[in-house]
Amino acid sequence: MDARRIALVPPRYGPDVVGGAEAVIRRVGHGLAERGWDVEVLTTCARDHFTWANVEQPGESIDPTPNGATVAVRRFPVVRDTDGHIRARVEAELAAGEQPSLADQEAWMGDGPRVPELFHHLLDRSDTYRAVIASPYMFWTTFAAAAVAPERTLLRPCLHDEPYARMELFEPLLTGAAGVWLQTDPELELYRRISTPPAQTAVVGEGVDVPDGYDPKRFRAEHDLGDRPFVLYGGRREGAKGWEGLLHGFCDAVGKEDLDLTLVTFGVGEVQPPADQTDRVVDLGPVDDRTRDDAMAAALAYLQPSSLESFSRTVMEAWLAGTPVIANGASDVVAWHIGRAGAGLTYDDPAELEQALRFVAEAPDAAAALAAPGRAYVLDHYRWPVILDRMEATLDEWFGR
Amino acid sequence: MSGDRGARRSGGERILVAAPYPPMRDGIGAYAVQQVQALRRDGHHVEVVSPTPSAAHHHGDLRGPAGAAALARFGAHFDRVVLHFHPDLLYRLPPTAGARLATGLSYGLAFRRLGRVELRLHEIDHRWADRSDPTSRATSFMLRGADRIGVHSEEQRAHLVDGFGVAARRVELVDHGADFAPRTTADRTRARASLGLPDDEHVFLCIGFLQPHKGFDRAARAVGALRGGRARLDIVGSARVADQATLDHVAELRAIARREPAVHLHTGFVSDEMFDRWIVACDTVLLPYRHIWSSSVAERAALFGRPVIATRVGGLAHQLADHPGAVLVDDNDGLVRAVAHAVVGAPAAGGAAATWPVGLAEGDETLVGVDRERIQAEIRARATAARGGVAVAPTGAGGTDAPPLSTPVRRLSPLHPPAPVSARPGVSIVKRLIHRVIGWELTPISEQVNRLQRATADALDQAQRANGGTGAGAAVTGEVPRGPD
Repeated sequence: MDARRIALVPPRYGPDVVGGAEAVIRRVGHGLAERGWDVEVLTTCARDHFTWANVEQPGESIDPTPNGATVAVRRFPVVRDTDGHIRARVEAELAAGEQPSLADQEAWMGDGPRVPELFHHLLDRSDTYRAVIASPYMFWTTFAAAAVAPERTLLRPCLHDEPYARMELFEPLLTGAAGVWLQTDPELELYRRISTPPAQTAVVGEGVDVPDGYDPKRFRAEHDLGDRPFVLYGGRREGAKGWEGLLHGFCDAVGKEDLDLTLVTFGVGEVQPPADQTDRVVDLGPVDDRTRDDAMAAALAYLQPSSLESFSRTVMEAWLAGTPVIANGASDVVAWHIGRAGAGLTYDDPAELEQALRFVAEAPDAAAALAAPGRAYVLDHYRWPVILDRMEATLDEWFGR
Repeated sequence: MSGDRGARRSGGERILVAAPYPPMRDGIGAYAVQQVQALRRDGHHVEVVSPTPSAAHHHGDLRGPAGAAALARFGAHFDRVVLHFHPDLLYRLPPTAGARLATGLSYGLAFRRLGRVELRLHEIDHRWADRSDPTSRATSFMLRGADRIGVHSEEQRAHLVDGFGVAARRVELVDHGADFAPRTTADRTRARASLGLPDDEHVFLCIGFLQPHKGFDRAARAVGALRGGRARLDIVGSARVADQATLDHVAELRAIARREPAVHLHTGFVSDEMFDRWIVACDTVLLPYRHIWSSSVAERAALFGRPVIATRVGGLAHQLADHPGAVLVDDNDGLVRAVAHAVVGAPAAGGAAATWPVGLAEGDETLVGVDRERIQAEIRARATAARGGVAVAPTGAGGTDAPPLSTPVRRLSPLHPPAPVSARPGVSIVKRLIHRVIGWELTPISEQVNRLQRATADALDQAQRANGGTGAGAAVTGEVPRGPD
């Protein structure tokens, strides 16, 4: 075994993949490769987590890092040959507050995308890696990787306070991994509420790249926004991220109060504003990092509607850009960040959202001032060099030098 | 296929393994994956077919004639097919005479069509070998169609040869733990510290899925009978199936754990690593099974050199023959003695009797006193525990003769639809069909009826307890319970 050889096991991987956890895994891979680690990514051929279509070619490829190091990528095809009925039924039960039987939970896991070749690659080769870093907890790839080699599995669960996390199915994963990387103290508290973290558990945090600069004027010009005041949401536009609630809340608020605000959004997923509000919602689709950063700097506020955040990288990106955050208070993690940084507001219902939007629309200078401590908070806690130092230290301590 | 060429070039075979498979937790699946790993390391091209979607390369229902046809189809391109034989995998349950006939014949034909077939026999009902049963020929036809049958014990070997007429040269004893690898690196001290176990107590362990046939309740009573010795029993596992019998059993274990300070129940799904860590942490593994064919837990205990106390059922005697420190017992009495011997190095006085509140002379088994009322109360308490309900306090002098108020309700048999089986050929299929058609409507009703029965009984017990046990007992002493005027 190469002493510094590790495997990363995300369900999807690559620059075109949208997803916070996946993006972080890629950044970790790059960071560790640039520090001399022999990094191999074991992942699927999929880009889209709805269709799981095998878009990428199976086999080996190289993902170069910006500084000239390389990450080896080995892709395996997704098998999706079940009808999904059991999965739908179990998810309906979970949504209704019921706890399905363990047998049903197992059937749920089997009734979705699976990657047998990845499993067998690990079965044959897991002992050639010092550690196998799998993330996030809910995907088959993570579940299977930990089943093959729990003694060298380092789990980065990205836990959310959601019914899935309480499924008994995940107990062996949550209790049996050799090590765990967490992002925040609230995630650790949640872990303790629902399970027993292994002895080798550390809050290592998550890194955020600090842009060299921002050009909000360029962003406004390129997207024909003129001087329109806007708030921003970026990421997956889907129910699990609170998107639909935000869209309706925003449209109701601006319609009722006639607030002079536009909602600009980027990412994947359908955007379907009410017919009478289509001019108030601008969908940019997927954007590159520079556009994202410039959008953050141009916005009056960044909106974080998700109650299921394990870190919330976009909140950090907003604060780095000097933009305040308006977030769903149901997210312990984001509320914790806002409490510590003091650079945002939370809302607990549409009425509070409406008032928060009114605040940024009517008092933009005060909103900008509110954001002031956010950048220092991110720089103090979540720069990549600091995070990678912590990750390397745990790898050495837990899995030997 | 590149795998084909690769395997042939390296001298390896193309092997299809048919078994339950990870990432789902399953005893046979854990066994199979370690076998697959070993075969692949030996240079073979191995693919797996599992009964449900898993990490296997293929999946399909292997039950019945259609399952046999599927296996023949999957296995057609392989040099060898290894089938982990368990009735649950091959037969629709319950395996009726018709099912045994059809499945036996179709699998017998399938085996003969395939290149080379190996069965790793985990369990089979030996009553199926009864020559007076016409289906025994079909089962025998199936088993004789395999080129090799691996079994874990001499008894199993004898059953196959004598009962099913399989040629002795085709039956091979296989070390159950041949492909097992340790999943934890913890030593005893670290394991105990991580699990919160005291360092100075003798730790007995029952581990695995919680099911009535595992008999963990017997172990709990045996350890409870030690009465204050520096020993404890940890029962670790989860209920995989949410049927009423299993739920009742878990409730019973929970109730016993509440009553017995030395018994600790840890319900939950444990990882492979934690499974092994528990074994490393313990002093003795208890296998108080009521019936079993062979035990993976015994193999993992052997892997870590932990002694085992087991009941003499199934193939355990053979499996444990070479296990250092293994003790076999025949009944609860033997279990109690063996548990005590493991702690203090000498057989305990009293055996199973010591689990009851009877007075025994110091150092021997002579009864010096029997408190009938306490025994009666104990019977009620245990029955209550078995139901997972709240214990009813003894009603005091004169009162314990009378049963609790809930007794008439509890005596009603639970409502279950009749099993869809028949001795008449073909009728089982019709009954099963009807059962399936109407089951979605009837099952919730029968479950609700049973829940109402239990709730009514529990409510009566609680009311009796709240009244200081003056329910039935009061009636005996002549005080008629009165409702509000």
